[in-house]
Amino acid sequence: MTTSLETFLLLSPEITLFLAALIAYLAAAFSGLRAGWLVAVTGLGIAILVSGSQPDSGSTISSGPITIDGFSFYIRLLTYTTGLVLALIQSGDYWKAAVQDDSSQHRRRGTGEEAGTFLILLAGLSLVGLANDLVLLFIALELVSIPTYILLALKRTDAAGQEASLKYFFLSLIASALFLYSVACLYGLGGSTSLLAIGNQIQSLGSLSPPTVEGSIVVGTITASMAAVLLPVMLGTALAGAAFRMAAVPMHFYAPDVYQGTSTSNAAVLSTLPKIAGIVMLARIIALAIPPLGSGQTIGPVAETLLLQSWHLIAIVAAVTMTVGNCMALLQNNLRRLLACSSIAHAGYLLVGLAAVTAAAASEQGQLGGESITATALTLDGLGSSLFYLATYLLATVGLFGGLIYLGHRWPEWSTSSSKRPRLEEIETVDDLNGLSTTNPVAAFCLATFLLSLAGIPPLPGFWGKLSLVTSSLSIDGGDAAFGDRKAWFIGLSIVLVLNAAIAAAYYLRLITAMYFKSNDKGVQADGGLSSGLAMVVCLIVLLSISIRPRGLFTAALRAGNTLSGNIATETMPPQTIQIPPEDSMFASEIQKGTR
Amino acid sequence: MTPSFLLVLVPLLPLLAAIATVIGGRRLGARAHLPAVVGIAAAAVVALSLLVVTARSRGNAETPRPIDVVAPLWQWATVEDAYAPAHDSHAAVPGTAVGEDAYSARPFSISIAMRLDPLTATMLVIITSVGLLVAIYSIGYMHDDPGYPRFFALVAMFVFSMSMLVAASNFLLVYVFWEAVGACSYLLIGFWFQKPEAAKAAKKAFLVNRIGDFGLAVGVFLLWLTYGTLDFHDTFSPDGTILPGILGQTRLADVSGYVGGIVGTAICLLLLLAACGKSAQLPLHVWLPDAMEGPTPASALIHAATMVTAGVYLIARSAPLFMACPGALVTVSIIGMTTALVAALIGTVQNDLKRVLAYSTISQLGYMFACLGTGTLLGFTAAIFHLLTHAFFKALLFLGAGSVMHSMGGVIDMRRFGGLRKLMPITATTFLIGSLALAGIAPFAGFFSKDEILASLHSKGWPDVHHSTENEHHAMIPDLPSSRSRSGTMHDVGYRGVSGDNNHSNSHQASNLVGLDALNQPAVWKTLFWMALITAGLTAFYTFRAVFMTFTGPLRIPDEAGDHAHESPSVMTTPLLILAIPATLIGFILFTTEGLAHFLAATPSFTAPSIVETATASVFHWDLAIQGTLAAALGIVIAAVGHLGRRSDGPQLERWLGPVRPFLEHRMFIDQLYAAVIVKPIEAVAFLAAIFDRSFIDRSVRFIAHLPLALGGVVRRLQSGVLQRYALAGVIGVLAIIVFLAWRL
Repeated sequence: MTTSLETFLLLSPEITLFLAALIAYLAAAFSGLRAGWLVAVTGLGIAILVSGSQPDSGSTISSGPITIDGFSFYIRLLTYTTGLVLALIQSGDYWKAAVQDDSSQHRRRGTGEEAGTFLILLAGLSLVGLANDLVLLFIALELVSIPTYILLALKRTDAAGQEASLKYFFLSLIASALFLYSVACLYGLGGSTSLLAIGNQIQSLGSLSPPTVEGSIVVGTITASMAAVLLPVMLGTALAGAAFRMAAVPMHFYAPDVYQGTSTSNAAVLSTLPKIAGIVMLARIIALAIPPLGSGQTIGPVAETLLLQSWHLIAIVAAVTMTVGNCMALLQNNLRRLLACSSIAHAGYLLVGLAAVTAAAASEQGQLGGESITATALTLDGLGSSLFYLATYLLATVGLFGGLIYLGHRWPEWSTSSSKRPRLEEIETVDDLNGLSTTNPVAAFCLATFLLSLAGIPPLPGFWGKLSLVTSSLSIDGGDAAFGDRKAWFIGLSIVLVLNAAIAAAYYLRLITAMYFKSNDKGVQADGGLSSGLAMVVCLIVLLSISIRPRGLFTAALRAGNTLSGNIATETMPPQTIQIPPEDSMFASEIQKGTR
Repeated sequence: MTPSFLLVLVPLLPLLAAIATVIGGRRLGARAHLPAVVGIAAAAVVALSLLVVTARSRGNAETPRPIDVVAPLWQWATVEDAYAPAHDSHAAVPGTAVGEDAYSARPFSISIAMRLDPLTATMLVIITSVGLLVAIYSIGYMHDDPGYPRFFALVAMFVFSMSMLVAASNFLLVYVFWEAVGACSYLLIGFWFQKPEAAKAAKKAFLVNRIGDFGLAVGVFLLWLTYGTLDFHDTFSPDGTILPGILGQTRLADVSGYVGGIVGTAICLLLLLAACGKSAQLPLHVWLPDAMEGPTPASALIHAATMVTAGVYLIARSAPLFMACPGALVTVSIIGMTTALVAALIGTVQNDLKRVLAYSTISQLGYMFACLGTGTLLGFTAAIFHLLTHAFFKALLFLGAGSVMHSMGGVIDMRRFGGLRKLMPITATTFLIGSLALAGIAPFAGFFSKDEILASLHSKGWPDVHHSTENEHHAMIPDLPSSRSRSGTMHDVGYRGVSGDNNHSNSHQASNLVGLDALNQPAVWKTLFWMALITAGLTAFYTFRAVFMTFTGPLRIPDEAGDHAHESPSVMTTPLLILAIPATLIGFILFTTEGLAHFLAATPSFTAPSIVETATASVFHWDLAIQGTLAAALGIVIAAVGHLGRRSDGPQLERWLGPVRPFLEHRMFIDQLYAAVIVKPIEAVAFLAAIFDRSFIDRSVRFIAHLPLALGGVVRRLQSGVLQRYALAGVIGVLAIIVFLAWRL
């Protein structure tokens, strides 16, 4: 592995973010209230421009420990744009906190630390997408986790906040430790830290040996029978690491407590950015078993087993996660707790696409005798659907949290007898939203649209996302499965998804009911700062434009997904609508003549 | 600026106006009309320029050749491999000009595409120009109304939806905007929703229209199943092959491009059902008279000039589909003519001025349907011609009625006022012009379009007579490269002509279909022609009955008008005066120059070989003109005898009509019939269903709904808040996963 100048060039967006973080830290000592977030927004803007200017040729560029392909490109842009909106939201949240406490504590402290930490978190997340090496992957994941601890700890204004930050810290440590175990297993399987080398090793493991004497011939350093032991452990622990970040079963327990305990802006960060990391981790590990298209490589039984085990695992976790999340959300009255449960459920939806792409890859291997994946196989790529759904989820969730922060505080109960100004109460429960449509119609409309998108009501993006998840899941054909047939598994998974969407609609609509059909004499202050309001409106505009024209994002997600799952450059374009000029009439040309 | 760009502007400007009014309407206050008026005015200018551009592109060529420009905006959504046609289905893909890939699976792509062709250009001009005049008129009519901004937002929204409806190049988009105009109509009928009658009328209009919309929806489904596309225009697939659109050049040029038989007829009848709903034809006409509860300008725009013609537009647009199904065509005519006669009969005894006009609208739309059903080029162009003239003179009449209502303090019962000609000279004059046009008196607009309708019906009833006429003018008929040997089919233009055109693969099916085709006989067409003549007489009668009752005789003013009964302000009379010009002249101009007929003949839908070969030179039929004028004159004379100078609807008419009169006054008891036959049984079923719903379904649903809640309760137990337990649960979960993987896989 060599690190060259090219590597630094490719990493320039991340380097930009680190530099911006340094500036923010330094500036914190001197500047006022919002300078930190100003630096953050500027740095993110530059980083987006820089990463956008890098050529997306569709080919894979590997340099040193990183690799840039369509997948990491998509993840990077998704991370940065989400980060940009989150930065806007957090600056608003800080403003609110400063207003809330008369004490000058916040004002003195400045915001540099938070902004800088947040930037490092984003850079780490982008590195997760870029990592082509186990060590870098792990470090990048820690670069996501450690700033999260700091962010949580910085906002520890009360006992609940401290409890939340400690809970997250310890459980995250356990998840990281488990994932490290998985990394060790991967190293054991592959004999290298490079993901490329591990992939090659896994794909060739066992295939050189005659199938009858499986396990007897030593390939490299380990036998296929050793692999049979390592694989479940590796997958289980890797899933633990990913599940914690995505808030999926069985590592989801922290989510409601932590979201409720910490500030709204931290909840916004927790419910969005780590999810990206979780998806990337799992996708990268599955991709180890899929040879690049056109390489003519065959894959061995170990890789087949890996695919087989992964899709079972992910499908089960997906089904359980969405059911648990949605059922729990039905009972919640606290807004952040409710959104935490909803974010658990969405982690389940996201996993459906991953399960589908893994099963599709497994089926290709089986049918083609391990030749290579055909170009037409994954037109409705499961990973593409997941990535598309991820984008729509991030958009609606960020907008939703932005709206909640923008709304800020309830009007307090004034009593004429007490001279002291009553303490402002933050919007906490569903009932606090009562009558929002009359007190703040714009915010109510935005929030309702986000909620409807999350519920999957057409024509909002959430609907397109769920539709593509279901279609990708239904396109899986029959094959081996632990119980029954593979097709039956995925039909079942689709049914579970659709049922869950129905359950989810119940609590999303409950919020909309509160906003539109209940009355409240108190109302909200909408003191959360203009920037969070701006973020909310921006999210709404993007959301609506995707509803009108979903193809752009969908094609991008499809390309990103295809890159990773071995289907480079199999983009299927829709039929272009072109008017055929009739043989004896060239109307268009005549018109040009006429208007000249 | 390209035509495509201009085409997008036409709906876009009213849409922007509607949004601006919604956002800033309250702030604009008394000037809330500004965005709508400016937006629609700009759209009208653009639409006129589009008309000029389209007309010019036709050039002076003798041959009518298809003209269209398609502006594909974007693909909304695509579902891959959605359609796999059966291998033996020739219907799905015309055999010619299409490669072998025609049989491969096709994506279901919803393309947002707009089109410009003569039909669309004509419709756009009607919509925007009438819309503009109505919007200006409404400034005066609606002033002081608390819902002033809301009204203009809705009008602008309606103009947007209607322009999109006629400019869409895709059946799905047509459906979307079909619903959108329905929604605008609903909101405008119920504009004064505090009035229970208005709310009820809006509900009725909406529900009756649902029946038609259902037909359209199922029709669109069937179209998709049959043709594998919903686009009007041809598209290219990625590999360069042509995907023929339903009304694209490829399919139009193909003799067997359209499906006849049961499927084709079903599609056509479903589209007809949709058209009947929107255009208020029997048996779905009941909503339109009640729709007069809305503000009069809205009635003029939506329920007289534009929206109700959407059905005519739909059938004209789908003309090639109908040509493959002669049974469906003749059904269109029969329904249309029956509606025309029934509505005219009911109109003779109405005392509410707006209701007279409403029944007149239904009746005139029936005329258009009747001549659409002839399935000849003359029929199609005559329908659009009548649509055009009717839009202007009926808008004029409605706005005139609104002017009367405005000054009479909201009273519209003709028995309560009279002799207004001195009080409101402009309104009276323009109303008279509109009435002459409606009655079909030369040289006013309605005379010429009605004459063409009669001619098209006559040519079907007496094909031999027209055969000779056609031969005389054979030299004038342009030579059409695409049409098949004309001389062979010339004399078949009559009743056998249409079925002869039917595509060969399906002719054996179509010939013995459901018995509808059996109706396609000269005897039927002769009956229809006589019905049309009678209707013409009735039209003249009820129109002039209204004129005489309202404007002649001694002056009578209801109490509600107070003492400020006066001619309407100039902002209201100016649109009347402007509308009076086309109501007078447009028929004569367009007829003598034959501009419209030639222009419309270049619409792609009308260039199907089966339609082109029915082309006849348009000649002025003196005999028909005399018959029509005589009928109208007779009607006017009877109206004069009965009502000229009289104060009210006297006993004279009652004596003439005898027992028929109450029958007509109660609108032939159609509403009551529906109530007894449809509404009551449905209510009974609904009552039983409600019991079943409450006692069984609700309980089981509640039980099911408790399942997730119960599960949530169980899962919540695990959320103890204790960190150690969370960690333990997580690790146990991971161990369980590992064990499962190692054990089963």
